[in-house]
Amino acid sequence: MAKDITIYTTNTCAYCVMVKKWLGAKGFTYNEVNLDQQPERAQEALAISGQLAVPVTVVTKEDDSQEVIVGYNLAKLAPAVA
Amino acid sequence: MQESTATQSEPAVQTNTPSGSKVTDLITIGAGPTALAAAIYTTREDIETILYEKGVIGGLAATTDWVDNYPGFPDGISGLDLSENLRKQAERFGAKIELGEVLNITSEDGLVKLSTTDGDRYAKAVLIATGSDYKKLGIPGEDTYYARGVHYCATCDGAFYRDKKLVVVGGGNSAVQEALFLTRFANHIDLLVRSELRASEVLIHQLEKNDKITVHLGVTTDEIIGDGTKLEKVIGTNSQTGEKQEFVTDGVFVFIGLKPTTEFLHSTAIEFDEIGFIKTDDGLQTTLPGVFAAGDVRSGATMQIASAVGEGATAALRIREYIEQHHM
Repeated sequence: MAKDITIYTTNTCAYCVMVKKWLGAKGFTYNEVNLDQQPERAQEALAISGQLAVPVTVVTKEDDSQEVIVGYNLAKLAPAVA
Repeated sequence: MQESTATQSEPAVQTNTPSGSKVTDLITIGAGPTALAAAIYTTREDIETILYEKGVIGGLAATTDWVDNYPGFPDGISGLDLSENLRKQAERFGAKIELGEVLNITSEDGLVKLSTTDGDRYAKAVLIATGSDYKKLGIPGEDTYYARGVHYCATCDGAFYRDKKLVVVGGGNSAVQEALFLTRFANHIDLLVRSELRASEVLIHQLEKNDKITVHLGVTTDEIIGDGTKLEKVIGTNSQTGEKQEFVTDGVFVFIGLKPTTEFLHSTAIEFDEIGFIKTDDGLQTTLPGVFAAGDVRSGATMQIASAVGEGATAALRIREYIEQHHM
């Protein structure tokens, strides 16, 4: 079970919208870091994911382990938050 | 940007077959402009319609920065907003959008059977509206630096290139439009065009006025080089002189044309043209009965959002006729 979900997004990213839409429809709450509003945190997203891409979804589980999903990838996102 | 709460809706009202399976009137594969336009028409005719989408609602249009040539928006509209408007309009009349992936299509007892990641689904008719995706260059380094310097979506990944140098590859509307968008972030862009610019005059005029972009005509893109972690440069060739050229850059965005999204159909009875687009008859029906195709994925498509929407409406009318003739 996810203890915390943080998504790195940009204003214009359609895949970011899909991740938020899917999590919202499933009843999950999440924190959003919008890189257009907080460009200084882009390096943080890069450090976490190793990729220059959004969305980056960081799922923190009950045991504090983390899973990082880049892009809109339900095959990875669904089990990560389950 | 609006949030939806309806993407995981309960399935539309369905009819039980004698075998106990559920049957939906129409399932569209994809939820881009073609499918959404079709759904606006079919749902208004009380044809229950489910749109099945594995990626982004709105398709490639949703990832496009700005759409200036879609009729009815005199000042243009963002691709994301246009997609949201289409979604809301389709859902207003009862269309249901479900998230998942179709793996195969077959015919069974006069119905269309879809094998999906959520099990088998049955429909009286199916509309393939999977659209298209950007082509890759197919050059050394492209896969190595994918999402670490090589990108195909400016609206997604452009924000990582604030005050950086970029290369954009391509000479059509998409390449020029996205290069212009990327100047919001990058301090300089080299636009590599294999032959000549094929973008609209409006875009070329905007390009000429933008001092952040340098256009290199007649330059092929041959190789992407980095240090194993970070992309460093792009190697090209001047096609007239044969001279090799280096472009030092932090990232590369590729917009060299579109390819139809049809890989999942290659084991079906559906026929394709010589370049992989789906063949249809004049009524947009494929070689598999009850299965229609429209939009970017169809042979003869013009790869325009306005055309895709028009084909969606046409497909909806043909599908209504098909259902009336075969299922009433």
